[in-house]
Amino acid sequence: MIETQTGEQLLPVDPTTKRPRKPTRQPGYYPGYSTMSQKNFWDAATRQTVEKRVYDVPEIRFFSPEELPLMQAVCDRVLPQHDRLPQYRIPIVNYIDERLFKNEIDGYRYEDMPPDREAHPLGLKAINETASAMYNKPFLDLGPLEQDYVLKSIHDGEKKAALDIWSRMSIQRYWHLLVQDCVAAYYAHPWAWDEIGYGGPAYPRAYTRLENGDPEPWEKDEQRYEWEAPATSISDKYEESAAGAGTTHHGQGGTH
Amino acid sequence: MVYQHVRDGRFQRSLSLISALSSFVSGLEVAYEHYKGSYSNLIMYSPVILSGVVTGAACCAFFSRRAAENVLRVTSAITLADGIIGFGFHIRGIQRKPGGWRLPITNIIMGPPIFAPLLFGTAAYLGFMASYLRREEDSKYGHIRYSGWRRELNEGRFQKHLAAVAALWTLFSGAEAWYSHYKSRFRIWAQWTPLVISPIQLAACIGAIFSERIARKMLPATSVITMANGGMGFFYHVRGIVRRPGGAKTWLYNILYGPPVFAPLLFAACGFLGVLASALRREKR
Amino acid sequence: MKSPLLGRFESPHEKDKRILGPLQRISRQYRHYLDSEEVDYCVVGVGSAGGVLLQRLAKAGFSVVGLEAGPFWDPERDWVSDEKGSHKLYWNNLRITGGEDPLTFGENNSGKGVGGGSVHWAAFAPRFHPSDFRVYSEDGVAVDWPISYDDLKPYYELLEREIPVAGPAYFPWGDPHGYPYGPHPLGGVGDVLVKGCTKLGIRVCAGGPVAILSGSHGNRPHCIYRGFCIQGCKVGAKASTLITHVPEALDYGAEVRELSMAFRIGMRDKDHVNGVFYYDRDGHEHFQRAKAVIVAGYAIETPRLLLNSACPGHEHGLANSSGVVGRYLMAQAGNVVLGRFPSLIRMYKAPPAHAMTEEFYETDPGRGFARGFAIQSVAPLPIAFAKQMMTAIGAWGWGMRRVLMDYNHWATLGVLGEILPWPDNRVEIADEKDEYGIPVPKVTFNLHDNDKKMIEFGKKKVMEVMWAAGAEQVVQESRYAHLVGAARMGSDPATSVVDKFGRTHDVHNLFICDGSILPTQGSANPGLTIQSLAARTADYLISQGEKIWTSDKRDMTPPPIRRHLAVRDSFTKGVPRLFR
Repeated sequence: MIETQTGEQLLPVDPTTKRPRKPTRQPGYYPGYSTMSQKNFWDAATRQTVEKRVYDVPEIRFFSPEELPLMQAVCDRVLPQHDRLPQYRIPIVNYIDERLFKNEIDGYRYEDMPPDREAHPLGLKAINETASAMYNKPFLDLGPLEQDYVLKSIHDGEKKAALDIWSRMSIQRYWHLLVQDCVAAYYAHPWAWDEIGYGGPAYPRAYTRLENGDPEPWEKDEQRYEWEAPATSISDKYEESAAGAGTTHHGQGGTH
Repeated sequence: MVYQHVRDGRFQRSLSLISALSSFVSGLEVAYEHYKGSYSNLIMYSPVILSGVVTGAACCAFFSRRAAENVLRVTSAITLADGIIGFGFHIRGIQRKPGGWRLPITNIIMGPPIFAPLLFGTAAYLGFMASYLRREEDSKYGHIRYSGWRRELNEGRFQKHLAAVAALWTLFSGAEAWYSHYKSRFRIWAQWTPLVISPIQLAACIGAIFSERIARKMLPATSVITMANGGMGFFYHVRGIVRRPGGAKTWLYNILYGPPVFAPLLFAACGFLGVLASALRREKR
Repeated sequence: MKSPLLGRFESPHEKDKRILGPLQRISRQYRHYLDSEEVDYCVVGVGSAGGVLLQRLAKAGFSVVGLEAGPFWDPERDWVSDEKGSHKLYWNNLRITGGEDPLTFGENNSGKGVGGGSVHWAAFAPRFHPSDFRVYSEDGVAVDWPISYDDLKPYYELLEREIPVAGPAYFPWGDPHGYPYGPHPLGGVGDVLVKGCTKLGIRVCAGGPVAILSGSHGNRPHCIYRGFCIQGCKVGAKASTLITHVPEALDYGAEVRELSMAFRIGMRDKDHVNGVFYYDRDGHEHFQRAKAVIVAGYAIETPRLLLNSACPGHEHGLANSSGVVGRYLMAQAGNVVLGRFPSLIRMYKAPPAHAMTEEFYETDPGRGFARGFAIQSVAPLPIAFAKQMMTAIGAWGWGMRRVLMDYNHWATLGVLGEILPWPDNRVEIADEKDEYGIPVPKVTFNLHDNDKKMIEFGKKKVMEVMWAAGAEQVVQESRYAHLVGAARMGSDPATSVVDKFGRTHDVHNLFICDGSILPTQGSANPGLTIQSLAARTADYLISQGEKIWTSDKRDMTPPPIRRHLAVRDSFTKGVPRLFR
């Protein structure tokens, strides 16, 4: 596990008591739900793929020792996991590193983007330069809130520094690349499936209750609780169509 | 007077009509259930055709003794056999689903309804029994024929026999209710009622085979409750269909995939059989 | 229960068999041709169209080889019931994308491996409307097809039986018709679409039309409603040519050559081809000799291969005297509208494709744009949903975590809108090369005024439906779906690449048969149309016999439909069609 920031100020807050919520093994509204407990019902190929993902975390082979802590710090803000116990955090950076090391691409590259293997290091550089321009400090030395402001400026497409990098690489597309890589790593993990109540692999056994959001016998009912993002973050606030101005942004996954 | 006719086994015309009706209803049910299965095997047409044939034969039997004793008897027997063959196909269908019988609950719920063909066959059995009865217009002592179990039918002495049929019917239709209500997760409390009632009715039916007291005292009571429950179920199933997305505007689809509208009526039918059985005379043996 | 009866599921140990599904197996041994053997037809790409072509031509007695860039799948061992693990099903090789409104590729629209895109399509299988074939005559935009709906209708009916398509007994739009398999039950998203449409008085079609089995079909089982259609159907309930047509093609002696990347078409003389150059799995160059070549590589790889095959006499690319190769590329507007509901939806259950309406398909002068759109159920799995939320609301950080914790409360509906063919939307060849050393395609895509108006209208309409269904928050993401065009068919060699049977105007024994020959795209998912066109092209080739390999004359008589060449057992299953 790579070092991450710790401390109470990083934790989500219970809105009634205003106290930080203790990190748990499994945040989310489906306590006790475990997709992995169902793995005997999956086919062998799927079971092996998912088990490998959980128990055989790839080593860092792409990011340099200088880039790695920065990438970790960025991912900690892009998809924070401080509500999880450290041993139950999903190693996002390792999965991104593996993709870049193997040069697995999605089948296209925007003409205003360098290849993914160049884009990530360039983006980290730009983030650091933006941090210096905004706070006179490298990104790693900033507090969490300041780090969020740096990332928010990139989220909003504001080129506050690193103009040479942004002239080679679209700032919005870089942001999308970064967020997509993070969510693709996080939500591919069974622990994240447990968190969001997603059914996970479903072959040969699939689903019997298709309507009304009914859970399968082995799924759990939702048990909601209220939580607020930590005061040291600004990423919980969003407006509709806030995906940056200028170009129209088209989604990329396959749905129909 | 009706009671006397039943006790004497002189209700061929009425039972033929009832069997026509139940054949028609179960034919409709199997037609759309097999439509949901896309008639992907030609044999899936057989129960639909046979139920039409039995309905026709039973209607003829209402008017003609000859039709009752020949056409209805033969067609019902064939349909009964078809139900048993269908049971085999449904077991095979479950086995051929991914995971097969190694996922019994999932595949019973999502596969072909396992007991439905037997229920269908039981409905045909009514016609078969009707074919051995005497007609309403026969005199109390007239037209007694056959020997053995057929004589007993002929004379209206088949209480144990009918109680056994009702027990089977209760078992099949109660099991259907169990897994389909389990599938929809017992969303409303009323979905539990057939599960509570069917074991009681089953016990009463089985008890009636061994004890005349149960047959005369307990069976009518549980049977009336069963019929009332089936009627209530029919109401809830219709309401469930109307309340589906699209409601009455997509009625055809909602009848297909809403709660099975005729299933509670088939459940009520085991109550009706119970009432009938309690009114009959017992076998001499 | 912690385990199925008899313990956890393991893969069957049938080494000599390709396991296509729980019951369907095919032998790994089949006919192989040598490169030096001149086959009758070499088909480049074994996808939606290629699979049908192979099956038809082989069954009619021709020797035929299908070159497929990707692997010959063994679904039981190769595919997984997992979103991330299914990445390999898509065409992930580099393509450069640009323009004002760039397209994306890979999982969005491009398949790789035997079965091609039909392996990962959501399997909506509506027909085109009669008006789609006369867009220019009716609306004064785009272009008319060289064929009419009636030319294709018998093939629609045939393919709907072969693959087969499940849907309602009466489908009211376009040319009304019924489906040979019954409709599917609805999942949460379909319920939302039906509820919203009914409230607004919009007619809606529940449970299809989708090429997913609603009843077993020989050794293919009934759908089990697991929702992994786009990740490849391990069940074998969703139709792909891998399981519908390719097994029979092999039975009749066709060869499917996997991991063979075609890079150039060989010329016998200026007007005739004589085979295909390709790289095998180890990167070695080969040349398969053939009397005729059919390119079925879909809307990017087909023009790429033609452009990369430029040679003396065809300096701007093969069959490109018109300059139209690569132009008029189309994608459909696929805006996704996401609605959050107070109650749970759990949209990962049931196939994503199971309810739709084509009420807005045809041109309505009151709307201020030509042509229209359909509304369809879609249902992204968590990763795709998170990516949609990133673009729809700019979600990140704790906001992303929060909205994903509500994943089970969201339902998604898709616009499927007709973007018109424009000459500046095109495929070209970039300077960059791929891992084989073949120049990669560069794709430019811009939306035009009519497209933008249609998207705006369609998006608002779907949002209305979502609100009407009871959503408490509605957002949307712009995107595209499908790819067609870029080698369009037409009667005039100056403005089109192929004639109405898929034969290139410039080269007499070179054919194109895939989505790229579509002149316009309608608002219907193109899969069924592509397969129907392939069956029609095959009938034409079979009718023409050997003379088409050498003759310069073009016999434009439409072929008789050859129903006996349909996949076996197509006519003994399914419900009677009440409406045709």
